[in-house]
Amino acid sequence: MRQPVAPAAQPAPAYGSVHEEQILTQIVTYILLVFGALVVLVPLFWMLSTSLKSADELFLVPPPLLPAIPRWANYIDVWVIQPFTGYFLNTIFITLLAMAGEIISCAIVAYGFARFRFRGRDALFGVLLATMMLPNIITLIPTFLIWRGLGRIDTYSPLTVGALFAWGPAYIFLLRQFFMTIPREIEEAAVMDGANTPQIFVRVMLPLVKPAILAIAVLSFTGNWNNFQGPLIYINTPAKYPVILGLYAFSESLSKEAPKWNYMMAMTVIMSLPIVILYFLAQRYFIEGLTVGSVKG
Amino acid sequence: MNAYLRTLIDFVAVAVVIAAIIVVTYRVQVLMRVKREAATGFALIMPWLLGFLIWTAYPLLASLYYSFTSYNVFQPPRWVGLANYQRWFTVDPSFWPSLRLTLLYGASSLPIGLALSLGLAMLLARNVRGVGIWRTLYYLPAIIPGVATILLWRWLLGTNGLLNTLAAPVYTVLKMQPPSWFTDPRFALPGLVIMSLWGVFGANTVILLAGLKNIPQHLYEAVALDGGGAWAKFWNVTIPMVSPTLFYTLVLGVIAAVKTFEPGIFIHLTSTTTGTFLQVLVWSNAFAGGNSRMGYASALGWIMLVIILVLTVFVFRSSALWVYYEGERT
Repeated sequence: MRQPVAPAAQPAPAYGSVHEEQILTQIVTYILLVFGALVVLVPLFWMLSTSLKSADELFLVPPPLLPAIPRWANYIDVWVIQPFTGYFLNTIFITLLAMAGEIISCAIVAYGFARFRFRGRDALFGVLLATMMLPNIITLIPTFLIWRGLGRIDTYSPLTVGALFAWGPAYIFLLRQFFMTIPREIEEAAVMDGANTPQIFVRVMLPLVKPAILAIAVLSFTGNWNNFQGPLIYINTPAKYPVILGLYAFSESLSKEAPKWNYMMAMTVIMSLPIVILYFLAQRYFIEGLTVGSVKG
Repeated sequence: MNAYLRTLIDFVAVAVVIAAIIVVTYRVQVLMRVKREAATGFALIMPWLLGFLIWTAYPLLASLYYSFTSYNVFQPPRWVGLANYQRWFTVDPSFWPSLRLTLLYGASSLPIGLALSLGLAMLLARNVRGVGIWRTLYYLPAIIPGVATILLWRWLLGTNGLLNTLAAPVYTVLKMQPPSWFTDPRFALPGLVIMSLWGVFGANTVILLAGLKNIPQHLYEAVALDGGGAWAKFWNVTIPMVSPTLFYTLVLGVIAAVKTFEPGIFIHLTSTTTGTFLQVLVWSNAFAGGNSRMGYASALGWIMLVIILVLTVFVFRSSALWVYYEGERT
């Protein structure tokens, strides 16, 4: 290896120190990144480790890092304590129905806002954006009273039917951004071929915005899966609980003397696992959905 | 099974009604000789417009009305003027501690969280190997359901929890007892902040990283040509260029902080000493334990809305001073 010969004006040691400085900053960068990763991972590790511990190991001082023998039976016990099979079916039902409603209605509305000129469009879109800032506490009580008036308390309707009214102004915003990037010539060509608006929307436009649809699909899936306040207010019968209310019920029953944190952590693992799997499968769409509003807007 | 069927019927019925309204809106406009393009556009936004009227505009007005009434659902609302508001501000012992907790929680978790996220995003924006893997990792806590995060941290921050075990040497040096975070009024707020930082810093990092990646490299080169160092690059390029993204996360963060709910439900805070989150007070007055003080709870909802409005207006006003929009020169 031949060292480059330094020109007389700039002595060689200067090169060396710049190089060293770069290596140093690199090392510091990686140390910080690894530290950040530990902050993320240690609690998650603890969740898993606790979920496999026996009751005797929970309050040992110092706590053992790993259970002596991983107690997988915790997961079976938990399934007996709370009827999770039913809870999962309930959660899946609510999540899929609300997600379908949201995607279809938001896509239609976004298409209307993105592609057609009509009076008051921009003002209405401004109103839509403003509703993004409105906290749902303010509408919570009258909304509850509407559903109560319709006799729909303790049913899944309040958690799903509202989705048909294009819930989620952020999703409309995101889809509209995508629709606006599609060249008009594509629609014009379809019109020449004799296609009408519904045909153009379903056969031409929707396939073109597939990435955006998938992005709001994952966001909507996680949003509905993790929704706690809705079920808490509307669902009363234990048999109708989604998973999250099962967790809530168990957490309220944790005794002060011997709280079964191993079971509690097993339940949080059960609740989180589907979302984590989805995240690893469709990571791209999570990131897309998260960043589009901030950068393009 | 029946519960599913009942909701499916509701769902399909409402879907059909909305579709019919779209078609009717279009037809009526065409009859009124509105241009086809305009008629189609207005018809297509009907699902949102109906939703806005039914689920936003009406509830907004209704809750304002309820806030001036005494309303227990079983008897019609009875007008009481400002009594509900007066009671929150002067009588209810949980209001001021909870207002303090909610505001302090937002005021501490937001700036610390944004600073940490920005720092981390700047590290990732350098030419680090495997950006994708780091990003996946850091975003992970944001994916974990909020409720799971809260339960996890209730366990981690217990008296014999992992954090106290890890921090035992620190406690020895400071000659203090390991705190039982959430049940100790002095440590409840720091505990909540730590928990929220873990939950959101990854998501904000990803958002800010996308903002950082959009900064044209030539701006940094220009600063370097002028002899500016890392500090000059940070203050004169990074901060102005990423300020719109910071602004966006700040606005959303303010709203999210004021309406924090789940931590207050899963962690039993004493509402009269530590305070709890304002939204928990709304919920407990309106729905919990057989309560149905709808008017009283609505009044607190409006108090919270006003707080959010004041804070966001403040953030928006201040944005003229620190948010830089390209193409806008004053």
